[in-house]
Amino acid sequence: MPLTEQAVETAARRPVLSVQDLKTHFMTDAGIIKAVNGVSLSVGEGETLAVVGESGSGKSVTGLTVMRLLGRTTARVVGGSIEFVDRDGKAIDLLNLSDMGMEKVRGHDIAMIFQDPMSSLNPVFTIGNQIAEPIRIHQGYGKKEARGKALDLLRQVGISDPESRIDSYPHQLSGGMRQRVMIAIALACDPRLLIADEPTTALDVTIQAQIMALLKQLQAERNMAMIFVTHDLKLVDEIADRVAVMYASQVVEEGPVDQVLGHPRHPYTKALLECIPSRRDAQGERRQLHPIPGTLPNPLSPPSGCRFHPRCGFAADICIASDPELEAVTSDHVTRCLRWQEVAL
Amino acid sequence: MSEQADIERPAAEFRAQPLLSARGITKHFGNDGGMFSKASAPIRAVEGVDLDIASGEVLGVVGESGSGKSTLGRLVLRLIEPTSGTVSFDGKDLCSLQTGEMRRFRRHMQMIFQDPFSSLNARMTIGDALVEPIALHLGLRGQAARDAAVGVLERVGLHADHMKRYPRMFSGGQRQRIAIARALASSPRFIVADEPVSALDVSVQAEVINLLQQLQKELGLTLMFISHDLSVVEVITDRVMVLYLGRVMELAPTESLYGNPAHPYTAALLQAAPGMISVKKHILKGEIPSPANPPSGCVFRTRCPFAIDACAHTVPTLRPVGPDHLKACIRDDIEL
Ligand SMILES: Nc1ncnc2c1ncn2[C@@H]1O[C@H](COP(=O)(O)OP(=O)(O)OP(=O)(O)O)[C@@H](O)[C@H]1O
Ligand SMILES: Nc1ncnc2c1ncn2[C@@H]1O[C@H](COP(=O)(O)OP(=O)(O)OP(=O)(O)O)[C@@H](O)[C@H]1O
Ligand code: SF4
Ligand code: SF4
Ligand SMILES: [Mg+2]
Ligand SMILES: [Mg+2]
Repeated sequence: MPLTEQAVETAARRPVLSVQDLKTHFMTDAGIIKAVNGVSLSVGEGETLAVVGESGSGKSVTGLTVMRLLGRTTARVVGGSIEFVDRDGKAIDLLNLSDMGMEKVRGHDIAMIFQDPMSSLNPVFTIGNQIAEPIRIHQGYGKKEARGKALDLLRQVGISDPESRIDSYPHQLSGGMRQRVMIAIALACDPRLLIADEPTTALDVTIQAQIMALLKQLQAERNMAMIFVTHDLKLVDEIADRVAVMYASQVVEEGPVDQVLGHPRHPYTKALLECIPSRRDAQGERRQLHPIPGTLPNPLSPPSGCRFHPRCGFAADICIASDPELEAVTSDHVTRCLRWQEVAL
Repeated sequence: MSEQADIERPAAEFRAQPLLSARGITKHFGNDGGMFSKASAPIRAVEGVDLDIASGEVLGVVGESGSGKSTLGRLVLRLIEPTSGTVSFDGKDLCSLQTGEMRRFRRHMQMIFQDPFSSLNARMTIGDALVEPIALHLGLRGQAARDAAVGVLERVGLHADHMKRYPRMFSGGQRQRIAIARALASSPRFIVADEPVSALDVSVQAEVINLLQQLQKELGLTLMFISHDLSVVEVITDRVMVLYLGRVMELAPTESLYGNPAHPYTAALLQAAPGMISVKKHILKGEIPSPANPPSGCVFRTRCPFAIDACAHTVPTLRPVGPDHLKACIRDDIEL
């Protein structure tokens, strides 16, 4: 059965990142925003974990917490742990690592591609500079060698004639090319883990397909672990081995892609799938879309009990009273629903 | 100059008298005799497009960023002047209308934009935002205008209570409902919806698509639905036009376009779209060339996996390949 094969495969993958019960809260004037509130995730070598969820569900904050890139004045990690396993198999506690140690991890081990390439590229430096600089700092290359490596990287991410592009400034490039440059910068340190935060959201489908193919190829070549953040479930199927579905600051379902998308065990996952416009059915009839009633909860005052209960078609009294925990559906598939065994999804 | 030869249209019966027609419509930007315009070539945003939309029809317009979708939408509403070509609405040549006449015509033709956050004035209550077009186009005042405003609000699933609130008090989906209500306020017959759901989360997107479909049926609206999301377009349209560098590559009923794409560009778009077709035979290489300097012959040839020498010399004309199905490609001997 493919199910058990997959379980074996997953177990055999050496873990790279393991996040347990992470809580990242923002202290704002209006109150505490519990942007990430009990998130657990893990990803192994050569594996891609997709993180999906609607806008504001906490996907980016999870990634930024792992990278320790959130400002300390407003953002507080109030609970949980983040463990990274380096190339030598040594476990590193990222939350308690010194700033210098973390700087080294970001230069050598974990890289992130950000949601908006324009705001994360520096407008006053050439792209060649921005790719070569981390190579010089972290890998001790000389100026000329670093430039050579930058050219190589640009070629690898599919920029033809990189010699004519390397001295360009970000604003001189198209959106698709900027995203490739972001990928080149991320790969410069040959990371063990790549966190890609909506790397194709702003791009045309054609360019998106190019970037997706590129990421898949580079990941396979390097046996990299990847966390692929997206709000597009259709992309999950194309790129990921496993998927974590987030709702209102928590992971509500996690497991192998074909299990979670094929046989969802959480009403929210099921509801998200029903929102996707799909091909017509066998009779050529247009399928009716089923929007999720209501709106995402206010992050300042999330509902009691199951956070999805005001919008859930299966909500019962118990869902208002008690907080669901993640429960195992199979050995590697979990759901955060009190009624998953009773409801027919 | 229109590059298109006479088009033989096996015109569907119901398009015999289209609500909206465009002939050879062309828009070049930057060649308006302005200070710097002589030095650089004009941007050929839309190039010789012919188009008929029947009353009650939903026409999709797809293509990559920069292919000219929004420009075409603005041209057919005469929000911008064409460089050449004509647009007629209900048999009337829009370009011949004087400003005053055009203003009266506006009530029949409206636009919905991508971003519900910036398309609504933050300092106007929802009620005022709706009363304004009602007063302007329908001449209603006072209580009558407010009643009409509540009427359209209810059409889009909101209530009279919402009249006094400001846009920031609404979620993204609600704001797009309000933008739709505003477009509906003057009881238009034709609406250009330019990426109306692209900025929304899937759950909200589904809500707005359902609303648009329902209103289209109830009110018999004619819609031009612009989007780069092929799965959304498949759900909502009757016919689809595929644009590339301002030219029509393919025009066909939705089912036959998705089931039997005839143009290499359409096939490539469908293969690139996630969740559409799982076998990705041809991932298009490179990017859309500059519309200031389009390739000779077939504009798609620099990225077309089937290009042959002849493609550089011949401008393909739109020609029928099936019932109501047109393509602009010189080759018939290719397997897509
Ligand atoms: N710097 C900040 N200060 C205060 N609140 C913040 C900050 N950054 C994020 N938030 C809040 O944290 C929550 C989660 O935000 P996050 O950016 O992780 O969402 P997301 O899932 O990435 O959404 P999107 O799909 O829109 O990118 C939101 O309610 C957001 O408003
Ligand atoms: N006012 C303008 N002045 C100069 N060039 C323009 C203007 N408006 C559009 N263009 C150019 O015309 C071409 C077509 O633009 P248009 O906005 O119609 O494309 P689109 O298909 O709607 O793209 P998108 O998917 O990005 O919205 C582009 O090259 C664009 O840069
Ligand atoms: S716990 Fe209850 S409200 Fe929450 S998802 Fe399950 S059935 Fe729905
Ligand atoms: S005319 Fe030639 S280049 Fe153009 S789409 Fe057809 S085969 Fe491709
Ligand atoms: Mg985000
Ligand atoms: Mg546009």
